[in-house]
Amino acid sequence: MKTARTMLLLAALAVLAAVPWFGSDVLIQFGINALLLAVLAQGWNVIGGYAGYASFGNSVFYGLGSYGVAIAMAQWQLPFWVGLLFGAALAVVFAVLIGMPVLRLRGHYFAIATLALAQVMAAIVSNVKLAGRNVGLVLPPLNNDPLFYEFSLLLLVLATLTVYWLTRSRFGFGLIAIRENEEGAAVMGVNTTLYKTVAFAISGVFSALAGGIHAYWVTFIDPESAFDIGLNVKMIIMAVFGGPGTVFGPVVGALSLSAVSELLSSEITSFAGLFFGVVVVVAVVLMPRGLADVLRRFRGTGWRYFGENIRSHQL
Amino acid sequence: MNFVFKISRLSALLMFAAAVSMPSGEVLAKEIVLGASVQLTGPVANTGRYYRDAYQLAIDRVNAAGGVKIGNESYKLALKLYDNQSDVNLSVRQYTQLVSQDKVDFLLGPFASNFALADSAVSEKYRIPMVQGGGASDQIFSRGFKYIFGTLAPASNYFGSTIEMLSGLDPAPKSVALLYADDAFDVSVAEGTRPKLKKAGLTLVLDERYSTNATDFSSLLAQIKSKNIDAVLVAGHETEILNFVRQAKSLAVAPKMYSFTVGVPSEDFRKALGKDADYAFGMTAWLPSTDLKDRWFGDAAQFAAVYKAKFGYDPDYHAASGVADVEALVQAAEMAGSTDPAKVRDALSKVKFDSLYGPIAFDENGQIDLPQTVIQVQGDRLVAIYGGNGKIAGPKYPMPAWDVR
Repeated sequence: MKTARTMLLLAALAVLAAVPWFGSDVLIQFGINALLLAVLAQGWNVIGGYAGYASFGNSVFYGLGSYGVAIAMAQWQLPFWVGLLFGAALAVVFAVLIGMPVLRLRGHYFAIATLALAQVMAAIVSNVKLAGRNVGLVLPPLNNDPLFYEFSLLLLVLATLTVYWLTRSRFGFGLIAIRENEEGAAVMGVNTTLYKTVAFAISGVFSALAGGIHAYWVTFIDPESAFDIGLNVKMIIMAVFGGPGTVFGPVVGALSLSAVSELLSSEITSFAGLFFGVVVVVAVVLMPRGLADVLRRFRGTGWRYFGENIRSHQL
Repeated sequence: MNFVFKISRLSALLMFAAAVSMPSGEVLAKEIVLGASVQLTGPVANTGRYYRDAYQLAIDRVNAAGGVKIGNESYKLALKLYDNQSDVNLSVRQYTQLVSQDKVDFLLGPFASNFALADSAVSEKYRIPMVQGGGASDQIFSRGFKYIFGTLAPASNYFGSTIEMLSGLDPAPKSVALLYADDAFDVSVAEGTRPKLKKAGLTLVLDERYSTNATDFSSLLAQIKSKNIDAVLVAGHETEILNFVRQAKSLAVAPKMYSFTVGVPSEDFRKALGKDADYAFGMTAWLPSTDLKDRWFGDAAQFAAVYKAKFGYDPDYHAASGVADVEALVQAAEMAGSTDPAKVRDALSKVKFDSLYGPIAFDENGQIDLPQTVIQVQGDRLVAIYGGNGKIAGPKYPMPAWDVR
C-alpha cells in the first residue's frame, strides 16, 4: 500500500512536470497560477493549519518576495535567484520582527492584528524610493512560461515536503500541540514562542518565493497588487477547502478551486464571481473540515456525511 | 485507496481544464476577429464598460459601412471579448487564449495601466499587434516592445497644453506651484510636467507631493500665498481638488490661475462648488465636438449621440479612445492591404488619420501624442480655451481675489 501510494504520487508529479510538453500555452499559464496559489495555501497551512494561527498577514510575505525580486532585478540589475533569496530574507526578518509581538495574541485577536499588516506595508512601500514608490517597478520580461511553470512546481514540491516533514518531526508535533492547547504545550516543555515564530517564518519564506516567481513572470508590480489582502483570503479559502492541517489538502484545494474558478470564468463569464461564491458557501456547509476529511470518512459514512455536517451547523 | 481517489481526481481536473481550453470554433473566412479582455465585473468594471461598448459600437459601424477593404475584398469585423473580472493574472491568460487558441487577428486593450503593462507582454510574445486605449502610463511604452500601441494621452503630457497656454497669457505668470497626489498616475504627471515648465522658462517655486485622499491643504495654501505664486497646477483626485478650492476660498488664497487634472469637466464638480468653481482651469482629452471629423461616425458629436442612444449613458474619453483603437486597426489593415500581423504592425507605426477622438498617429514607442484641451469654468459654462492647434477661446485671467468676485 505504501509503495503503491509513493508510485502514484511520483506518477502524478511526472504528469504535472510534463504539462509544458503537451499542454497548451493557456494551460501552462493556468498551471503557473494554480501552482503558485497552491504554494501559498501550503505556506499558510504551516501557520494556519498546523499551528492554528489564522494569519491574514501572509500576503505581506508574498509582497515582500515580489519586491525582493523586483528591487534586485530592476534596481540593482542582479540575477533572478539573488532576488528570490533577498525576498526570502526579507520575509524571515519580517516574520521574526512582527511575529514576536503579534504571535502573543490568540484566536480572533491574532487574525485582526495581522489583517492590517498588508495595508500598512503597502503604505510604507509606497513611500520607499528604492521600491518605485506608488508607481511600481517594471521587470525585464522573460518569455519562458515552461520555465516559470517548472519553478512553481518545484517550489510546491519543496513546500509539500516541508509540510510532510512537519507531520513526523518533533517540531510538527509541537505545532499541533500548540494548536490543540497552547498552555498544555508550554507545560509539556514546548518553547511556544520559538515554535510559532519559526512556523511563521517557514510560512513566510514559501509565500515570498511564490511572490518572487510571480513578480518575474508578470513583469510588473505595484504596492496595490503586491500587498493584496484578497490573495490572503484566497489562500485561506483554498487551504480550508482542501483540509487545513493535512499534507495534501491545501494542494488539492488550491488546484481544484483554481480549476473551478477558471472554468466558470471562461464559460459563464458574467456570473463567474457569483458561482464561485456559491461553491465556497456550499463547500463550507457540506464539508467544513475540507476535502481531505471527506475523502477519509466518506467511505465509512456515505452520503450521510454531508447530512451530518448540515445538522451539526444547526441550520 | 483514498489517495488513489485524490490523485485521479486531480488528474481529472487537469484534463477537464485542458479540454475546456480547446479551440472554440473555426474562424470564418473573410472575417477579421479582434480580441480583448476587459473588466466587465470587479472593482473597475464601471470604466471597463466604456471599452466593451465602444469596441462593439465601432465594429458595428465599420461593418454597416461595408467592412474593411483589403485589396479587392471586403472583410467583416468580429469581436471576441472576455471578462477578466478585474484580475490581472486572468487577463494575461485570456489574452494568451485569444492569440493561441481563438486565433484572433488583432488585439484590443484592457482598461488601466497595470493591465496593459502585463497584457502587452502577451502581444509582444506572440507578435500580434495590440492597440489599447486604457493605459496611459509611460512605462507601457518604455520597454522597447514593438507590438503595443496606445491611444490614451500620455500622463507625462497632461499639463503640456496648459503650459503652452501659460506662456501666451498677459500678464505672463512667472512662478509656478506643482502639487500632486502620491499615486502612480499623478507622480508620472508631475515627472512629465517639470521639464516642460523649465523649457517654458517658468520657475517652479513649490513642488510638493501630498498623500492621496488628503483633506487638509491649508499649509500648502499658506505657502502659495506667502510665496506669491502666480500659477498653481494640481494633479490629484476629485475630492482632494474640491477641498483644495474650498480651503483656498476660506483662506483667501487667489493665485493668478489654478488648473486641475481632473474634476473640472464633470458636472458634479461644478455643482458641488457652485459659484466658486468659476475661473478654475482643467483639461480633457476629448470633447464631443463637431470639429473632430470621423470616417465612420461623421464627427464626435454624432458619435456621442449614437452612443448615448444605444447604451443610455454619455461616452467620455475612454469610450472615444476605445473607438479610436478599432479604427486604427482598420486603417492599418487597409493600408497594409493584408491581415498579416507583422505587416499591420508596420502599417500601425505609420498610420495617420483624423478620428472622432482626435488625430491618430503613433511615435516610435507606439504611444500617441494627443494634447489635452485646456478648459475653464466661465460662469455657468465650460469653455474650451486651448487645444492642440492653439488658442480656441479667450481665458478669464487673471483670477480676481475671492472678496471682489
